[in-house]
Amino acid sequence: MTDASLEFEIQPSSGVPIYRQIMDQVRALAASQRLRSDELLPSIRQLAADLEVNMMTVSKAYARLEAEGVLERVRGTGMRVRATKAAGTAAERQKELQPLAEAMVTRALQLNLSEKQILSIVRTVLLERQAWLK
Amino acid sequence: MAEIIAEIIIDVEHLTKNYGANPVLKGVNLKIPQGAVVGLMGMNGSGKSTLIKCLLGLLHGDGGRATVLGCDSQNLSPAAKGRLGYVPQVVYLYAWMKVRHVIAYTASFYPNWDHAWTSELAARWRVPLDARVQTLSTGQLQTVAIVLALGHRPEVLVLDEPVASLDPVARRDFLKSLLEMTGQGSRTALFSTHISSDLERVATHVAILSDGRIAYFSELDELKDRVKRLRLRRSAAFPADFAVPGSLRTKVEGSSALAAVAHVTPELLDELRQRWQADVRVEDLNLEEIFVELNSHD
Repeated sequence: MTDASLEFEIQPSSGVPIYRQIMDQVRALAASQRLRSDELLPSIRQLAADLEVNMMTVSKAYARLEAEGVLERVRGTGMRVRATKAAGTAAERQKELQPLAEAMVTRALQLNLSEKQILSIVRTVLLERQAWLK
Repeated sequence: MAEIIAEIIIDVEHLTKNYGANPVLKGVNLKIPQGAVVGLMGMNGSGKSTLIKCLLGLLHGDGGRATVLGCDSQNLSPAAKGRLGYVPQVVYLYAWMKVRHVIAYTASFYPNWDHAWTSELAARWRVPLDARVQTLSTGQLQTVAIVLALGHRPEVLVLDEPVASLDPVARRDFLKSLLEMTGQGSRTALFSTHISSDLERVATHVAILSDGRIAYFSELDELKDRVKRLRLRRSAAFPADFAVPGSLRTKVEGSSALAAVAHVTPELLDELRQRWQADVRVEDLNLEEIFVELNSHD
């Protein structure tokens, strides 16, 4: 097993499809900086062999993470965590978040949630993420 | 890999098979694309072995048709057979032969037999090469059958309960070999099994045979993504005849309800929340639970 493969723990008999377990774990590894942006992920073949799962499962997880912008393909060498662009002024970075916030608020209002309830969800997610990073 | 539109390797249309007056296959439709590793599930007596035998021309269907590698199953050409590997549920080999001679004998029928690969497999599974077939345990016989089926590196593998008699270590080794063989995406496999946890690692697709038909055939991930159990709770009691629309079954107990749904959509959840003012929790199901839900008729 490669070092990075050891970071993964797959439960095939969970109700969560294996590709989604891999996606969740890559996201968590990236968010917690345990996978740094200059590090290559194990190849599809390698990770599939290490986890003893179908290669298509790993391929699907990587492709979706690439589409989400979590991973990027490095030509000829493999996949790595995409460096988070933290450039720009605070105002510019806030603006980048705006469309996501709009989508969330639209959905929240459809669900009849109050302002307090919406803000409490954001706070919960944020606290969870900060706990991860520690 | 999955995005490529693949050739259909196993194609079954309206296949029927009766044993006397007893219909076992009542019109099976199944199209297996190249590179798919399909787990065939079904309750005892659902016709899994019958379907597999019809595919290989070992049994003749009564109606409909089946082709493998574009070749009619009832009349498979030697060339098509050379590209197929089959592990039967019950293994018959010459009892008096030594295992290494059985392997050599089988190899002699295949121009493309891979001797190095069979030696490797035999070592991996601790196959007793110098034992006579009659002295082997059921599990050992099954490992020999697997070596025999894989020796010519077939493009299509058909396995009828290949791991039923294997111990957990041998089973794991078998699954590893299956993953190695199918990993490139060019080989296709169909295997029947009762052990859904094995399937969850290796299968790309699941086919569920029920009441003589393929009740479900989809990618395993898709099946897990869409078959869910819903737990509903509201302040007032649900009506006794409450049922979640499109559910496989709904169980009501006062203000709580439990429903298995074959196709969960955000719209369905919204509707339940709004119409019934209910708190709805979505629970993931593993393959065994999905299989049980899809097969319970109450």
